[in-house]
Amino acid sequence: MTTTNLAQEISTHLASKSLYPSQGWLDGFLTSIRIGTALPALKSTAQFRILASDITQTLDRSVTAAFPPDVLDATKKERILPDPIPVQVLDVEDIGRSRWSQVEAIEAAERGETTKGKEIIRVVQSEEQGERRDDEAAASGGPHKVLVQDVRGSQVYGIEMFPVQGMDLSMGIGSKLLLNNVVLARGVLLLDANSTTVVGGRIATMHEAWKAGRKARLKKAANEKGV
Amino acid sequence: MARKILCVAEKPSIAKAVANHLGGTVQPRNVPGLPWLKNYEFTYNFSQPWGQCNVVFTSVAGHINSNDFGPEYKNWNSCPPVQMFDAPIRTFVDPEKTVIAKNIEMHARTSMALYIWTDCDREGEHIGTEIRSIAMKANSKLEVKRAKFSNIERAHIINASQHPVSLDERQANAVAARIELDLRIGAAFTRLQTLQLKSLIDPVQELKVLSYGSCQFPTLGFVVDRYFRVQNFVPEPFWYIKVTHVKMDIKVNFNWKRGHLFDRMAVIIIYERCLDARLAEVIKTQKKPTSKWKPLPLTTVELQKLGSRFLRMDSQTVMKTAEDLYTKGWISYPRTETDQFDRGIDLKRIIDKQTRDNTWGPFAQNLMNGNFRQPRNGSHNDKAHPPIHPVNHVVGSQLSENERRVYDFVVRRFLACCSEDATGEATDIEIQYGPEIFHTHGLTVLQRNYLDVYPFDKWESSQELPPFTVGETFTPTEAKMVDGKTTAPGYLTEPELIALMDANGIGTDATMAEHIAKIKERQYVMSQTKGSRGHTDNEGDEQDHVLVGRGGGRGGRGRGRGGRGGGGGTTGARAGATSGVQEFIPTTLGVALIEGYDNVGFETSLGKPFLRKEMELQMKAICEGRTTRNDVVQSSLDQYREVYIRTQSQMNVLKASIRKYILGQNG
Repeated sequence: MTTTNLAQEISTHLASKSLYPSQGWLDGFLTSIRIGTALPALKSTAQFRILASDITQTLDRSVTAAFPPDVLDATKKERILPDPIPVQVLDVEDIGRSRWSQVEAIEAAERGETTKGKEIIRVVQSEEQGERRDDEAAASGGPHKVLVQDVRGSQVYGIEMFPVQGMDLSMGIGSKLLLNNVVLARGVLLLDANSTTVVGGRIATMHEAWKAGRKARLKKAANEKGV
Repeated sequence: MARKILCVAEKPSIAKAVANHLGGTVQPRNVPGLPWLKNYEFTYNFSQPWGQCNVVFTSVAGHINSNDFGPEYKNWNSCPPVQMFDAPIRTFVDPEKTVIAKNIEMHARTSMALYIWTDCDREGEHIGTEIRSIAMKANSKLEVKRAKFSNIERAHIINASQHPVSLDERQANAVAARIELDLRIGAAFTRLQTLQLKSLIDPVQELKVLSYGSCQFPTLGFVVDRYFRVQNFVPEPFWYIKVTHVKMDIKVNFNWKRGHLFDRMAVIIIYERCLDARLAEVIKTQKKPTSKWKPLPLTTVELQKLGSRFLRMDSQTVMKTAEDLYTKGWISYPRTETDQFDRGIDLKRIIDKQTRDNTWGPFAQNLMNGNFRQPRNGSHNDKAHPPIHPVNHVVGSQLSENERRVYDFVVRRFLACCSEDATGEATDIEIQYGPEIFHTHGLTVLQRNYLDVYPFDKWESSQELPPFTVGETFTPTEAKMVDGKTTAPGYLTEPELIALMDANGIGTDATMAEHIAKIKERQYVMSQTKGSRGHTDNEGDEQDHVLVGRGGGRGGRGRGRGGRGGGGGTTGARAGATSGVQEFIPTTLGVALIEGYDNVGFETSLGKPFLRKEMELQMKAICEGRTTRNDVVQSSLDQYREVYIRTQSQMNVLKASIRKYILGQNG
């Protein structure tokens, strides 16, 4: 297969997920692959890498749908954004629980404890750090509030009005969502399972920084709000 | 010479009560040297092969032996405390108990059998082996039996006297292991702490020793943990939407299904969308029968928890009082984990005795007249004692004030168990208002049943709801966005502490109250009557904190509520008044010790329940024959020795904590 055809195949595959990579990214990708790799493997490698990338750098701004310029206009009561807009998650919060109770849960986990009813259980830490949030994610009932960013870098808050599968505190920062016919109310996205698909992925550096700073942010926010 | 049986009870009051049941009215004989020690001599016809025998019925007073290290270890500076882990232990008759031992020896010599009447629990089994060893030394040909009984009611005692069994060596071994571990670990850490830390504290606080106990420290740890949660707590605002609608002159409050959210912007946006919708639509109406379950049969832990909640007594006083009532034959043995009545037990006979009571007599009579229901079964059975229940009727005026209250509680609980669940009708209505769902709940109590005799549970009808039909739409009279604030949890209360100890395996139901009393006595915690700070009552382990302006949620009630699915609505049921409950606040010393140990290493911190819990499980394993006393002692000592060595090498961490909290220095 020629390089041009290959580029075409990969573009088409990504476009089917509403991801339109920039020419620069495509060129870089094609030079990085080993010749002779089967096409399906290349397609999934490409998708994996795009999902792990910063879309403001890697998607083609001229064809990728983005938020309208006045997206944050709070005087507009309600609009519907019909185009499929890929965005990446910059922050996720559980707004159904107090921040302080989340701080307490993190601290208990740091001590290696968790509770089952009244029983205090010692968590034997065997796996790699990083997956431990799963416990907490399971306990995170939501709704969640996310900060998302489109291909142009515009940042908008979204509220999980009705449960969206995959949206919880264990989702990776930088993971991609695809918005379709999403409601924008007063400059805030109202997310539900119809309008929002969690495509996945994460941007490793952002995720690590977010995770490392989460407790401090929660503490700070609790103290600011709690006055 | 007629054959003679030596009977020995665990305490004088039991000896007196049992002797009088067996021998009619028996005159006590004094034992020289101990004013309170009595022997009761009579003849009694035992079952074969003993038959008609002379009986000497006497008692000990708890454990008769003492265990200690040899004199060469007496001086704390004579050896490093770590030697306490394997220094030889001597077992000897407690010097204060020599008269008791002599009395047993003397009568053992001329007896053909020793009949042990210690309480039927682990401790009693072990005391039984102590009595046996003293008696056998005097007369190695003695036949040894023990009586199995769980209350001091006459017929029960006479039945027990005819069916002797053997001592349970496993239970005795479990206690022996516990005694050795407590002695060694307690001595090692108490000496270490005292030698290393006392001089630091001396300028501020006078202490003889800084005692350590493997149950006391986790108990203290719970108190300290909660204290820090209270201290560190940060209140936060939350917002919610409240819809009210007046229909047929009835004001109905609809609650937001989301409860409340911690994000103002989100609630404002949602609120606006509700208002925009104008009309609310009824999407669900449901009327269904509901019931409030009668309580489970009473266990020790529940007695202590509810006692301190409703009877204004601390758990130790509750237990002491319950024991007095047991000794006098009014209630069954108060140390039990069992919350199920054996099918064989004649509950109606017990109820019948209560029919003559002025207060609950008519209720009991009603049960006798066909309204008796078999009690629910909980999931615990210690296979030794039935749930706590009244044995005989006594009028309140014959009892002390505390006894009257505990007896009253035990009887009411028992009658409630034998009664019928309360029944009612629950109404649930849901409306869709904009994108959101709101609901309201109504309850009509139809039959109070057990509630009539058990005022400790509250279940009351709510206001009546007007009729709504699905599909009906209306413009709510009012929709408001309301804010509130989380409040700190309260300091740990005694019932909460007992529940934590129970869930985490600290102490047995029989010893929890003692551990709590110990940490007060050691000046590690102070207690005060709850209420002075105006907290809403809440369980400490809830996900979120109590919400101002909405009832604090008290979740399920301890043991055994699970099991039955569906049916039962529990709404509206909240425990009654809780004034008088004790809450605990750690002293600076208590805080310093726990934080110090936590800083040495969380994983096996002595302030955490994990190590002790393991030990407690091992005791159970010995009782069940899954392991041996020796194995348990060795493996537990290994674990604690490791902690000891780590503590010793990081003593500066503990010292820093002492300096920080007690001397007020920055650590």
